[in-house]
Amino acid sequence: MPASAFADLSLAENHGCTQCHRFTQEASEEPPKGPDLFYAGNKFQKNWLENFLQNPVVVRKAGYTSDPGFLKGTPTVAQPHPSLPEKEAREMTDFLMSLKLSDLPASPVEGEPLTKGEKVRIKILFERNFGCIACHEGVNLAGQPRGGISGPSLANAGNRLTADWVFHWLKTPEKFLPKSRMPLYDLDDETAVKLTQYLMTLKIGRQN
Amino acid sequence: MFVKKSRKFQIILLLLMTLIACGDNAKETAKVKPPTAAPEKTAPAAVVAQPEQNPVPQKTRDVYQWYCTQCHGLKGKGDGINAKHLTVPPRDHTKGEYLETRTDKQLFDAIKLGGLAVGRAPCMPSWGNTLKDETIHSLVRYIRELCECEAL
Repeated sequence: MPASAFADLSLAENHGCTQCHRFTQEASEEPPKGPDLFYAGNKFQKNWLENFLQNPVVVRKAGYTSDPGFLKGTPTVAQPHPSLPEKEAREMTDFLMSLKLSDLPASPVEGEPLTKGEKVRIKILFERNFGCIACHEGVNLAGQPRGGISGPSLANAGNRLTADWVFHWLKTPEKFLPKSRMPLYDLDDETAVKLTQYLMTLKIGRQN
Repeated sequence: MFVKKSRKFQIILLLLMTLIACGDNAKETAKVKPPTAAPEKTAPAAVVAQPEQNPVPQKTRDVYQWYCTQCHGLKGKGDGINAKHLTVPPRDHTKGEYLETRTDKQLFDAIKLGGLAVGRAPCMPSWGNTLKDETIHSLVRYIRELCECEAL
């Protein structure tokens, strides 16, 4: 396993991924230019990742938060993300899906879908009570992305992210990033589960 | 501490007002009433020193740059990268006309509890779990520096 993981990392190096992304939890000298990927296997849905690598979409319209041009709205890293041919995209996806945090407990998010009433109630939490929409795109009633762009778009969160990861990010973001630009919320498990379930209903554009 | 600071400010304001009130015939008062010369001497010193008395530490400016700028902009003009995507525009922290109608307590609560809790725009999230009270008080001082204003 370590030998193949090493080979896979060299694959990532060959594609230039390590120029912007971190693949291990070790702190880097400079802030990374792109999202950390050492927990990619926890965070992403495999289908989405494989498709993204071939046909990249812009998830962070203002660039990554530690990009020097982030707050000016002129990120230095060009978007969309470079694309890979199908075979390489598959290999890379397999490698990325193998990158998981070992100490992440199972989340209490169940498969039970939200009722229509719950969905409306949680939408209000998401948009009004917690103000998530100020920095993240959600989906409006017309089915269009709506909201701020400093945080990653959540308009397609239901196709992109795993419910487990969303729950853990909401509860303990420091496990993934020591300091993000997002406010910390002291959510009880029930609220975090409901918010996660709501986010997993957000789907826009192509299915993966 | 917060109350103390605002009280200190009131005292300075009082001293300032006394100064202004006395300003026109300062020479005369100085001649006629030598005892008032002493407080008059300390008063200008306090006025000059006032901006330096509570300097906003770099740490607070960094907090503002890290979190608040996303909506309020690099210079606090309400033109951050999220601004044009919001239904209610973020507050321009350089506009004294509005901010002088808000007390320090109101600004503190808006940051700590979020917009919705204080009857303002819900786009403003609550920062009470992210920032210590002390930091939020300091951010209020920073906003006062940006707007070059105090509560009326």
